[in-house]
Amino acid sequence: MLGKVIAIRTVRLIATLFAVSLLTFLMVEQLPGDPILAILPPEALDDLANIERIRKELRLDDPVLTRYFRWVGDALQGDLGKSYITDQPVSDAIKDRIPVTMELAFLATLMAAVLAIPIGAFSAYREGGYFDRAMSGFTTAALSIPGFLAGIFFIWLFTLKFNWLPSTGWNRITDKGLLANLKTAILPSSALALAPLAINARLIRADMIGTLKEDYVLSARAKGLRDRYILMRHALRPSSLTAITVFALQLGGLIGGTVVIETVFALPGLGTRLISGIYQRDVMMIQGITLFIATVYVVVNAMVDVLYVALDPRIRRQ
Amino acid sequence: MSSAVRRFGKAFLEMPLVVKIALVWLLFIVGAAIYSRLDRIFGQALPLQDPFYQPFLFGEAKPVEGPSGAHWLGTDVLSRDNLSRLLHGSWVSLIVAATVVVFGLVFGGTIGAFVGYTKGKVETLTMATLDVILAFPPLVLLLALVAVYKVRNLTMIALVFGVLGIPTYVRIARASTLSVASREFIQAAEAIGTKRMAILFREIIPNIMPALFAYALINAGFVIVVEGTLSYLGLSVQIPEPTWGNMINEGRRDIRQTILPIFWPGLFLTLSVVSLNLVGDWLQQRVAVRSSAL
Repeated sequence: MLGKVIAIRTVRLIATLFAVSLLTFLMVEQLPGDPILAILPPEALDDLANIERIRKELRLDDPVLTRYFRWVGDALQGDLGKSYITDQPVSDAIKDRIPVTMELAFLATLMAAVLAIPIGAFSAYREGGYFDRAMSGFTTAALSIPGFLAGIFFIWLFTLKFNWLPSTGWNRITDKGLLANLKTAILPSSALALAPLAINARLIRADMIGTLKEDYVLSARAKGLRDRYILMRHALRPSSLTAITVFALQLGGLIGGTVVIETVFALPGLGTRLISGIYQRDVMMIQGITLFIATVYVVVNAMVDVLYVALDPRIRRQ
Repeated sequence: MSSAVRRFGKAFLEMPLVVKIALVWLLFIVGAAIYSRLDRIFGQALPLQDPFYQPFLFGEAKPVEGPSGAHWLGTDVLSRDNLSRLLHGSWVSLIVAATVVVFGLVFGGTIGAFVGYTKGKVETLTMATLDVILAFPPLVLLLALVAVYKVRNLTMIALVFGVLGIPTYVRIARASTLSVASREFIQAAEAIGTKRMAILFREIIPNIMPALFAYALINAGFVIVVEGTLSYLGLSVQIPEPTWGNMINEGRRDIRQTILPIFWPGLFLTLSVVSLNLVGDWLQQRVAVRSSAL
């Protein structure tokens, strides 16, 4: 059963990836006018010999589909072309920037997951109580505040008012060690974690309110087990399946979501490279990074689908 | 007409207090957005309608001012009145959100109901196409499009948002169509030989609209956040035209002295999104109760 799910999901994944890459390619290629106008910076367009050389190099005179397949073929081998603004290969830029983005997304997912469990569980345990109502207010607010605004607010509060943490910049783990790294990572990942935290807390609360009404919870109570034990052992376990899949889905979404937060905190991640590429009209860079982020997103989502089936024996047996 | 007003009045009284406040805030924003453009009709600026006014020559800029009688919410780094700019900026958020909602309800609703009711190859093909668009993280696709097509005015931004918004509406409309289409009253209409298109437009679409509209409110909140984000990055409507997002961006330069120029647009943005979420949630619950009784 699991094998079949994986097979079906793989076929769908390949089809989606094909379509996603085609769309990314065509977005740029179907611009009106000569693609060379989009690829080269305006100041390079006076040099006709150079234009001809690049046109040859990219084989721009081939039909669109031929060039698409060449682009995808190269991409599969890790070659996304190079920026004609900075001369940097796109794949190098991605390799250089991805650790920051991954760390932010990972930390945010972790924070959102770890904090949401006690919040959601306790809200469900005292449904309608003070804590529950306060948390419902908090989740509504957290879901409504845009991430970049939360980021700016954190900078204002923790850097300018309290002077606890640096507002911008990034310490690499390899250079400065874990603690210095976390100092620069904690604010941006907290800003990033707000919305998923709210979603998770709501989800766990709703799920656990249902579970707490089950007979086996009643019988555990009748046996005289402590509330906390029932909450964590009997009620949280069945809820954890949905939770894990949602957490994993968020990880995929956050890799795209870091774009703005990285800009707010001026971090050397993939997002800032995409944005600076946009400001510089660096088409090859935009195309490459968009394809990369979309691919990660699609692959993670597909893996989560499979994970869900693998984790839940009830679905597996069907 | 009067019965519609009375029904709305009754629904309003049944709302919890926070939802009432949220609705009033939304009406205020809509009013503010319209008011900020009234000079186009009157041919002259009304109070609070001059977001570009700079009461100084170059080199004479005064520092950011706090709230005062003359400038209720203070002034920004270029001595422009914050409140005028906020009202002016609400137009951008309103137009973008309204475009997405109208496109979503009209095109998304119709397409979703059509493919959900007729099924077959058209359905498979449509849904597969939409899945590709939904496969992108929304902000990244938007960034790539805005970057490549160099669109930076309100019409283009609203159109890009509107078109990209359609897929989720199609999905939701299709899902609710599938459940409505299996109901007895649809079978009855089919049995007496009503034309399929008549069933689609008279039975199915009116029945999926309330749920779709409730989603539209929540979606509008999301759209306002994304537009604000794009504006903050300088990739939406361009300065000097004020938007909530680009006001926040401009305010960042002076964050060391004062947070007010960021605080106000941030507050407007957040309150609007909270309000849309609250009203949307409330409507969603009401619709769920109603459709379970259907």
